[in-house]
Amino acid sequence: MHGTSTPQQAFAKPAPGVGSESGYANMPVIKVPGWHGIIAWDALLNGMATGLFLAAAVSELAAPVIFAPIAKVAYPVALVLLLFDLGLLVFDLGDPLRFHHMLRIFKPGSPMSVGTWCLTIFSLPLTAAAALSLLAETGLDFEWARILAVVLGLLPGFGAAAYKGVLLSTNAQPGWKDARWMGGYLSNSAILMGCAELHLLAALMGQRPATAILRIAFIVLLVLNVIPLGLLFRNLQPTHAQLYTRQQQWRVGVLIFVAGTLIPLGLTLFSSGPLSAFGSVVFLLLESWVIRFVYVKIPHTSPLGSKAG
Amino acid sequence: MASREKQLSALPQTSDAPRGRLLELVERLIYPFRHGEPPEPRPATGFYTDTTVCIGCKACEVACKQWNQLPSDGFNWSGNSYDNTAELSATTWRHVKFIEQFSQELPSPLVSLDAAVADANPNRWLMMSDHCKHCLAAPCHQACPTGAIIHNEFENVYIQADICNGCSCCVASCPFGVITRSELGGHSHKCTLCYDRQRDGLEPACAKACPTQSIHFGPVEELREQARKRVEELHGRGVPQAYLYGDAPTDTYSEMHSFYLLVDRPSVYGLPDDPFNPWLHMMGDYVRSFTGGLAAIAALLVVVFLLKT
Repeated sequence: MHGTSTPQQAFAKPAPGVGSESGYANMPVIKVPGWHGIIAWDALLNGMATGLFLAAAVSELAAPVIFAPIAKVAYPVALVLLLFDLGLLVFDLGDPLRFHHMLRIFKPGSPMSVGTWCLTIFSLPLTAAAALSLLAETGLDFEWARILAVVLGLLPGFGAAAYKGVLLSTNAQPGWKDARWMGGYLSNSAILMGCAELHLLAALMGQRPATAILRIAFIVLLVLNVIPLGLLFRNLQPTHAQLYTRQQQWRVGVLIFVAGTLIPLGLTLFSSGPLSAFGSVVFLLLESWVIRFVYVKIPHTSPLGSKAG
Repeated sequence: MASREKQLSALPQTSDAPRGRLLELVERLIYPFRHGEPPEPRPATGFYTDTTVCIGCKACEVACKQWNQLPSDGFNWSGNSYDNTAELSATTWRHVKFIEQFSQELPSPLVSLDAAVADANPNRWLMMSDHCKHCLAAPCHQACPTGAIIHNEFENVYIQADICNGCSCCVASCPFGVITRSELGGHSHKCTLCYDRQRDGLEPACAKACPTQSIHFGPVEELREQARKRVEELHGRGVPQAYLYGDAPTDTYSEMHSFYLLVDRPSVYGLPDDPFNPWLHMMGDYVRSFTGGLAAIAALLVVVFLLKT
């Protein structure tokens, strides 16, 4: 960076009395984008929509006899969630009427561009799968077309789930820039939420074999999700240390673990009925939202030295 | 003033032929997809700012505001020396910074230049005119999903205001806190390096107005040569602290087409000591994101396959 002489050389022996720490040394440099709670909701709905589709699609393709009836309900629900998510994405822009400008180019190096394209492409097979699922209810069954739409939606659906964390970690914002496992956590959490939603649908529809399988899958995924969550917490530990006391960190960590993992785990182990499935989903979504909300708020918190931009 | 600007921008331009609402909508949808012919590349231009001769007159700020027709930000007392500009923003593309480094021991800050040079512990003012760094590998350019941010034919980082949709990805990614989203139009703005003037063979307004030649404008290679000679000259004149910031790439950041000659640590001037390009993490973040998602899908599939019979 420094051409002719390096600052290390220049400041190895700072002159006594000269206020080299003065000036702008302790002032914020980075500007925080106007991303607030709406982004936390966006991240949650993105995970709920893509996760539900992926969980339903994977289960249906692996065991169509057991999962097809639930998947046919899951796709329209995923579409509704995705539409809400897209609405938030558009609404959060400085100029919402220019949303389509994101589609004038494809930039693999821009997570937002990748995400927008994935979401746009994903919305097409998802809409087709949802429409064909609803049509099947009326007797117009185009099963091959529905399955084709589901298969076509897998890759963009996964991309739409995976880009969000990368978007929120590939930047210069305090805290966010160190969150190497944000993407890993969010994509893993999306499948977990999807599995929980599918489990609830199966329980509500009285699909016993599907409920039994999804119950076990949910427990496995719930335990698995602790790994990326723990890694994310480790990434954010230096940031949290600036924002919270050790006691507060422990308290929040335990609260998240208990509310988001232990309670859903206990409820699912305790009973296989729709009520426990509903309780599990509620606690899981609450934990997922809190994590996203706390994460989104990090750069806005003044001690980390950034200002609104 | 802002509301008047809004009214004016809403008025139809005299060159626009009257159109119906439908045609206007169609035009609005199609317009961003029209890609013009890129101009022929020209020699890369930039700024070299010699902070040792800056006198803090703010002529550059005024010239920038005047030429680019940027509105006033109001007259606020920041309490930080003579700096009442406070920061770069969507309407302030030049920011003159003032750093007072005075020992408490001396009763008067007024010392002769000879005494200051001879003294190992000089009391001094540091002043610097800050602006966009026009980075060669600019994080804002990499982040922009619309392609609104481009490197123009002079290799300057330029925001096409008619394309930007205000997603704020550029704001999040700039490690210097330069780009800001305007509350007025919802689009991002920053220094254009007076692209319009350059196209007409003129130097940028700030460089033209600078009375001490602290701001040098020209082909980047020539500026680097000039800056290195100046550093050597300063070293010879007993200012060993002098060094260049941003003239050469580091392991974590590209060279900048606007670089500075500094005599104290970068952070004293409100610059990051070790700027980091967030994109260095992107591939790893994608890998972790895919791993997190694929691990969950694999776990779900294993459970489904094991239990479906």
